[in-house]
Amino acid sequence: MKAYYKITPEGTRDYLFEETGAINDVTSITTSVYRSKGYHEVKTPFLEFFDEFNMNTGAIPQEQMFKLTDNKGRLMVLRPDSTLPLARVAATRLQNKTLPIRLFYSQTVYRSNPSLTGRRNEISQTGIELLGASGKRADLEVIVTAVEALQKIVKDFRIELGHAGFFNSLANKLSCSEEIKEQIRDSIQSKNYSQLGTILDSLEPSETVEAIRKLPRLFGGEEVLAQAAPLFKNTEGEEDLKYLSEIYHSLSKLMMGDKLIMDLGLVQRIDYYSGIVFSAYVEGSGDAVLTGGRYDNLLSEFDAPMPAAGFALNADVLADIMLDSGKSFDEKPADIIVHADEGYEMDAINQCRFYSLSGFKCENSVFTSREEAVKYARENGIKQICLMNDSPETIDIETWENE
Amino acid sequence: MKPLRIALTKGRLEKDTINLLEKIGYDCTAVRNKGRKLILPIGDGEIEVVLAKAADVITYVEHGVCDLGVVGKDTILENGTSFYELLDLGFGKCRFAVAGKAGYNLYDGFKAKTIATKYPNVARRHFENKAMDIRFIKIEGSVELAPLLGLADAIVDIVETGSTLRENGLEVYEDVVPISARLIANNASLKLRKHEIEHLVDRMEDYLKETE
Repeated sequence: MKAYYKITPEGTRDYLFEETGAINDVTSITTSVYRSKGYHEVKTPFLEFFDEFNMNTGAIPQEQMFKLTDNKGRLMVLRPDSTLPLARVAATRLQNKTLPIRLFYSQTVYRSNPSLTGRRNEISQTGIELLGASGKRADLEVIVTAVEALQKIVKDFRIELGHAGFFNSLANKLSCSEEIKEQIRDSIQSKNYSQLGTILDSLEPSETVEAIRKLPRLFGGEEVLAQAAPLFKNTEGEEDLKYLSEIYHSLSKLMMGDKLIMDLGLVQRIDYYSGIVFSAYVEGSGDAVLTGGRYDNLLSEFDAPMPAAGFALNADVLADIMLDSGKSFDEKPADIIVHADEGYEMDAINQCRFYSLSGFKCENSVFTSREEAVKYARENGIKQICLMNDSPETIDIETWENE
Repeated sequence: MKPLRIALTKGRLEKDTINLLEKIGYDCTAVRNKGRKLILPIGDGEIEVVLAKAADVITYVEHGVCDLGVVGKDTILENGTSFYELLDLGFGKCRFAVAGKAGYNLYDGFKAKTIATKYPNVARRHFENKAMDIRFIKIEGSVELAPLLGLADAIVDIVETGSTLRENGLEVYEDVVPISARLIANNASLKLRKHEIEHLVDRMEDYLKETE
């Protein structure tokens, strides 16, 4: 039975004409920003070993990965993320390179989402990784690069800043199993606050439990810093809060105040983040269009400990927003079609090459009769036809009269 | 400026929410005389009400086509994944409970038990922590029938007063979790339209506190 031979799998699609125009635009605009700042492009395989995405720091839930086996029966996955492969490249093939290493990518990732939710399983992303550098200078560079890339595509967006340290410092004080901590992190991560409430209710009431309960609600501008201060008094979170405030104030010089928000409950979907984390939101998308942050512990998993930070931008969503905003990606029709009478086929091909070199968009007629070529030109908005024979001539399609 | 879109669960939650919105000063005449319309303006048109089925409220909010939603905690527990839960609205109160034939002890014996429910995710989560061997069967309506007909040992369902259970010779074995209506918000909307949403939520919260 060939039941599925005319459809694409759920969560994937064919990109036609203006859709490819929009996505190419988004990727070329954003990657030119990365390139202009000294980042170098890397491409990694579609297919990688499962193990790479199943490490202590940075495990991707296995139910979200598409899996297959190689000819030795080893478990493989379709690349679910680009940061881990780039970290692997930095730790292996680039291990002797002077630090910092600046890398960027433009490739798809694959996630298996629950069916019938309308979510994409194939997502085009572009992004950067700044490896081997830490501190304020590096964090600001990465965030500002994200802002600049977005600015070139959408006028209005919000950048949201957080710090992975807040949750970690509170979780360390909780007296419950690692498993429950993981569940708590999961529910904060997915913003599943009902589940978070249920888990916290089952724990012994304490200041820490209440602080975790408040964490997701701590977002906004300047005022958040004051609200959060008492929650993190005398914990490692105190330092993180100070650092977040520094980054916030540096960035507010660059962005209008209300475009920049802090969210202390911001924990990214992937758990390799260890420091500053950030997301970007755009009108027209119900989900973040860009996520990133600092992941200082990840590279040691590849036996090359070094600090690192980066972000990934969802090019598909931005392309859709570009199309919805009315930007036109319609391809222009050809300027001219060259039709060969019998025996002059090679002359026509040469004539086409001449037109192309002169900067015209030119199609070669594959029809046997002139009439068919003219009909095709009319239907496709081609204005002129060039007839190749003993005495070549160029005629406006409008003035063509059917013989 | 685009109106703030709020999806309401059709039926009782819709009426209770409209009452609440009127109490805090929004003109809801359009919703009161809605006819068959599904999208209705309230106030001076700064808010738009969308009427939908409970699970769809969550879908619309998750995708961001509605900024806010009013939906029962039951639906959130069964279907919810990624959104902000802003407020317990205090109405639509009931609870999830495990129930079955009066006098039967579900937790006794070595036989693997069967649970019928409209809420398989809630039921599975509840029993997962009990280390019992349970088979779940999804039933679409009148779950009470399942233990009566001998299909299941017990049910997990919403219980309000318990009168349906009593009339059919069933009893509650155990409460699972209390339920009430919640105000939810899309993650991006809350970031992009923070002031408008906070303004509305604060007024609702003040009113709910006053009447408590």
